[in-house]
Amino acid sequence: MTRTLGRREFIKTGAGAGLTLAMARTLAAGSAKKPLTKPSVVGVGIGEDYAKATAKAIGLLGSFKTFVPKGSRVALLPNVQSRHPGSFTKPEILRAVIGLCKKAGAKEISCLSWQPVKQFEDTGLKAVIESEGIGLRLFEKDESLFRAVPIPKGVALKEARLLAALDEYDRLINMPITKDHAGNKFTGSLKNLMGLNSPASNRTFHKPNWKTDPDDIAHLDQCIVDLNMAVKPALNVVDATEILVSNGPFGPGQLMRPEKVVAGTDRVAIDAYCAGLWGLKPDEIVQIKRAAGQGLGEIDLLKVVVKEEYYY
Amino acid sequence: MKRLRSSLVPAVLACLVLGGAWAGQSGDGGPKLASLLPGSGDAQGWSRDGEPQEYPGQELYTYIDGGAEIYHEYGFRAVIVQDFESAAGKSVSLEIFEMADPGAAYGMFTFKRSGQGRSVPLGSAGALEDYYLNFWKGRYVVTLTGFDDSAATIAGLLALGRAVDAKMGETAEAPGLVAALAGEGLKPGSVKYLRGLLGLNNVYPFYTARGLAFTAAVKGDYESGASLIVLDYGSAQARASAWADLNAALENAGRFKRTGGPDAGVPLFLDGQGRYAAFRETGDRLAVGLGANPSAAIAIAAQAR
Repeated sequence: MTRTLGRREFIKTGAGAGLTLAMARTLAAGSAKKPLTKPSVVGVGIGEDYAKATAKAIGLLGSFKTFVPKGSRVALLPNVQSRHPGSFTKPEILRAVIGLCKKAGAKEISCLSWQPVKQFEDTGLKAVIESEGIGLRLFEKDESLFRAVPIPKGVALKEARLLAALDEYDRLINMPITKDHAGNKFTGSLKNLMGLNSPASNRTFHKPNWKTDPDDIAHLDQCIVDLNMAVKPALNVVDATEILVSNGPFGPGQLMRPEKVVAGTDRVAIDAYCAGLWGLKPDEIVQIKRAAGQGLGEIDLLKVVVKEEYYY
Repeated sequence: MKRLRSSLVPAVLACLVLGGAWAGQSGDGGPKLASLLPGSGDAQGWSRDGEPQEYPGQELYTYIDGGAEIYHEYGFRAVIVQDFESAAGKSVSLEIFEMADPGAAYGMFTFKRSGQGRSVPLGSAGALEDYYLNFWKGRYVVTLTGFDDSAATIAGLLALGRAVDAKMGETAEAPGLVAALAGEGLKPGSVKYLRGLLGLNNVYPFYTARGLAFTAAVKGDYESGASLIVLDYGSAQARASAWADLNAALENAGRFKRTGGPDAGVPLFLDGQGRYAAFRETGDRLAVGLGANPSAAIAIAAQAR
């Protein structure tokens, strides 16, 4: 099922009204400076069968029902950057997550995006969505379809502009592909959440005078970190199977094939792990370092329980 | 996004001819991007698949969401995208980027190539990688992407590349600043020509913008393992002022630590990656030598022309 909702249709369905509390309850959970009582766990499934690697990575974290209780309405956020190899979340991974959600008894499962349908078609994700019978809700880049979410502890970004339809869901599963990025060298679970923020707001992450104002150089990274204080996915499932390590995020570029799927709830730990897959030091990646500094997670992998297993 | 409709082409052509203009030209005298696309028979065995899509100016953000900034930093005008298919069922995507000037095209080409590819005789320079190729010519950067690395796909990349190349009349030389890199031991495919901080941050991050308002820069890697960056500021006065700012920023940066070397007159820092960075002022330019030890860093900085 594919739906592209314009402002009028969105209002007509009532989806845009009176739904702010649901999200405030479950998703807008900035966790700045919370003491970590238990070490973060990162599950890593390895192998060339990406569906099985996905199930393994998530299984290493414990029961899936912890993340998606029965009756949940689940929003999925895969990366649909382009159809260039290594630039988009693999269809097999999406299918595996959908299967787990169904098995857990999810009431509704939908992919949300403001990207054009062509991106979903070209990447093969639309075919998975249709064959699995879940929703594909595509939104116009209309500011009225996004709602303001204050970020009181945001350093650069004081207000996110999140897809209002997110309020209709109990759980968000963030499904990026980790890869190179021309702007800040790395993209992973932290940056993928820009896919829920309005394009107009995202544009402000790149300041017009960043080339001349020294304070602006890390503005993009800081905005990404602040945005992550406004949204807390229930689970992050990162495609690290075949990834762009140059000329990202769009490609084409050099590919690396770690053949890994990485899962967890700690976005900082996950991104720190993924950065290391192609030799980047987490504390050299500004967004990861600042996210750790703002209490969003653990950057020191020695303090993280990393469980890596082949699926067989 | 502009969808080009073949049914409209005759009408548009007629209007332009009647108006005294050549339909194959854009407003600034260059050819329209659509006229550079291979037609039927231009690349044997390959035919167009679907309609071309064109994204001018800020519409690039629609096509390359999250990755358009680097094109704009160099100077971007428009891109046209056309898919091709072969009788054997292979697919290739062609992108022709029209940049603001030949320096922008050369710079974007150097930014996009991996340095590991094979040089191919397309345009002014071309690089064939595992499953894609890039070349530049005049104000254009051409990228062809296959979706596997089979011989048939690679042959298609080259055939389509040659067809585009043949339609491009413009030629240009690489910017003169490239010659500032010392020739001996230079890995040609490693050369990156830069026009702003976004590009510089990708090849060597200073984690500051202070003193880095250069007009253009170039970086190259050497067989010895050393690297050389040359930043051009346009005037000796601008360079001196910039270096004062950058030096001060590095002195106060956690990721750089000032250290001593064999030549006390050469500012030397140890960066967060464990490499040494030596700085040398020369005319309008600032040379930055990067090496595994102080001597290597100082030596490569001294070779900047």
